[in-house]
Amino acid sequence: MIFLAEVATGPFIRAWTVTMHATTHEIVPRPYPFDRDRLSALLAALIQQQAPAGAWNWLDVEAATGNAPRFYGAFAQMPRKTGKSVIAISTDDAETLNALVPHFTIGGWTLDRLARVWLLLQLDASDRERYLRQVEQLFRAADMNELVAAYSALPVLAYGPAWKLRCAEGIRSNIGDVLEAIMCRNPYPAAHLDDPAWNQMVLKAFFTGKPVNEIVGLAERNNPELAAILIDYAHERQAAGRPVNPLLWRCVAPFLDEGSLPDIARLLESADTGVQAAGALACRDSRYPPAQALLKQYPRLEGAVVSGALSWDALILTPS
Amino acid sequence: MCCNPLSNERKQQPAEDPGFLDSISGMTFFDPHVHMTSRTTDDYQAMADAGIVALIEPAFWLGQPRTGVSTFQDYYSSLIGWERFRSSQFGIKHYCTIGLNSREANNVPLAEEVMELLPLFIYKEGVVGIGEIGFDDGTAAEERFYRAQLELAKEANLPVQIHTPHRDKKRGTTRSMDIALEHGLDPGMVIVDHNNEETVKEVLDRGFWAAFTIYPFTKMGNERMVQIVKQYGAGRIMVNSAADWGISDPLAVPKTAALMKRTGISDADIRLVTYQNAITAFGQSGQISEADFATVRDVDQSGKYEGNTVLRGGQQPRIDKSSIIIS
Repeated sequence: MIFLAEVATGPFIRAWTVTMHATTHEIVPRPYPFDRDRLSALLAALIQQQAPAGAWNWLDVEAATGNAPRFYGAFAQMPRKTGKSVIAISTDDAETLNALVPHFTIGGWTLDRLARVWLLLQLDASDRERYLRQVEQLFRAADMNELVAAYSALPVLAYGPAWKLRCAEGIRSNIGDVLEAIMCRNPYPAAHLDDPAWNQMVLKAFFTGKPVNEIVGLAERNNPELAAILIDYAHERQAAGRPVNPLLWRCVAPFLDEGSLPDIARLLESADTGVQAAGALACRDSRYPPAQALLKQYPRLEGAVVSGALSWDALILTPS
Repeated sequence: MCCNPLSNERKQQPAEDPGFLDSISGMTFFDPHVHMTSRTTDDYQAMADAGIVALIEPAFWLGQPRTGVSTFQDYYSSLIGWERFRSSQFGIKHYCTIGLNSREANNVPLAEEVMELLPLFIYKEGVVGIGEIGFDDGTAAEERFYRAQLELAKEANLPVQIHTPHRDKKRGTTRSMDIALEHGLDPGMVIVDHNNEETVKEVLDRGFWAAFTIYPFTKMGNERMVQIVKQYGAGRIMVNSAADWGISDPLAVPKTAALMKRTGISDADIRLVTYQNAITAFGQSGQISEADFATVRDVDQSGKYEGNTVLRGGQQPRIDKSSIIIS
């Protein structure tokens, strides 16, 4: 999908956009590339079912005012109205959600977070500039939990590509929960960040000890530059005598070459079984023939990775 | 803030009694006025070790006057964002009060812009009052914005934290209370801060909360504080450190508790003055829950995977201060 709104940065292009809009019906800029109404209705139903008495009526009224200060006020006051209990979501609803916005999940969210995201969906997006300004102001004056909610909402905000820089800015945060809201189970970064910002995010996820396996699109967005950055990072950790998350080698594996193979050879000689397993899995995932040859020297490990007894997922679940 | 703290006329305080922590071991404290933005992580760690479980950081002057509204916005944002997170890493629940301080109220065009900004922040989670506001020089501009913020507090049903002036304190305190009553505020919703022997009686007689700042050289010493609690009881009195970038002590609350214990004040009264009264007063905001202190504290520091912490909030691992090895 092409977002004309995003490429329309100068008067010339804007004029072109209008022309295209007038002459072809296919290329109409849409604020939402998904069925906003259905998503909104699904989230609303969940909130209605689970919010304390009175909270939904309050929220419903506040969402419809069209008044910016009241919108900000409602967003800020959400926890005192909805409470912060963790929501329940059925498998069916989770699947519907995933069908509406792929990889968008709300499992484990608190009710205030869900209601804030729903409220953002109610903001009038018909005027692009006004919409962008209002949401940006919300980010700029947000507290910790509001930031978590707002960054969680990135995949369902209108004018998706317009939030690229905001997303990259969020990755500069050092607040753990904010980082996690962007990095983990959030499809926005993989869909929109350019490679340097993506690579920075993945590196920072390792650096700050986030559950890297929960990054959406980790395999799809993998690239040789990221692999090189991660190898450097692993070397720094090793020089300092600090452990390296074995999942790092999962990102490195597809780009193994002469330069990085000795790193994998060292993993295979480690006394730590988790690290050994990472070395074997990296060889399995590599198409570099010397890596395949290296794995052959460790028949027991080779058997385990080929049979599936050892997997990257198992490595996450059973830390050594 | 301390005036000329290193002058020859004043001596530094004597070395602290290293055993004071033992005497208050197991007690928990709430410091309702401390400017953590200007403190280090060592302070947070020492505060947590001394039993401080929660604190309030009032919005105040940063020493250097601000020249634009954006820096106010960033400061307020940091109080509800970064500083709150930093505190949580040490297991301390961080609340704040939001307001335009009296000094900067004198920059009228800027103050007007800040007043427009305040409604964006006062309804945030963990904002337990409007503060610290009141008089510094006692100018007309200070009075104007003090009154405007009292109205805001009334509208939002939030407690007010009043900063009383360093100079002309007694009259400034009386005037602050007069104006609050004139605006129809319930004195039970107003915490008058930085009291001393000269102001406390009137504050309590008129039904306000009386807060005392234990701050070396310029405000209260804690030996004087003990005498005040003995004389007036623990009913509506609370102590705080108001620790900031001056020579101040973020352990003022637990140290005062230790001194009170040593001088025979009951544990129940110590608890009121160093913990409960602040919660009762600022809890009228509906934004303080003692269960939150436990949540922050219970963050497990041991859950690690291959040396990489997977803790949600990124709790800081403890470092061994006695070791010369830094790894």
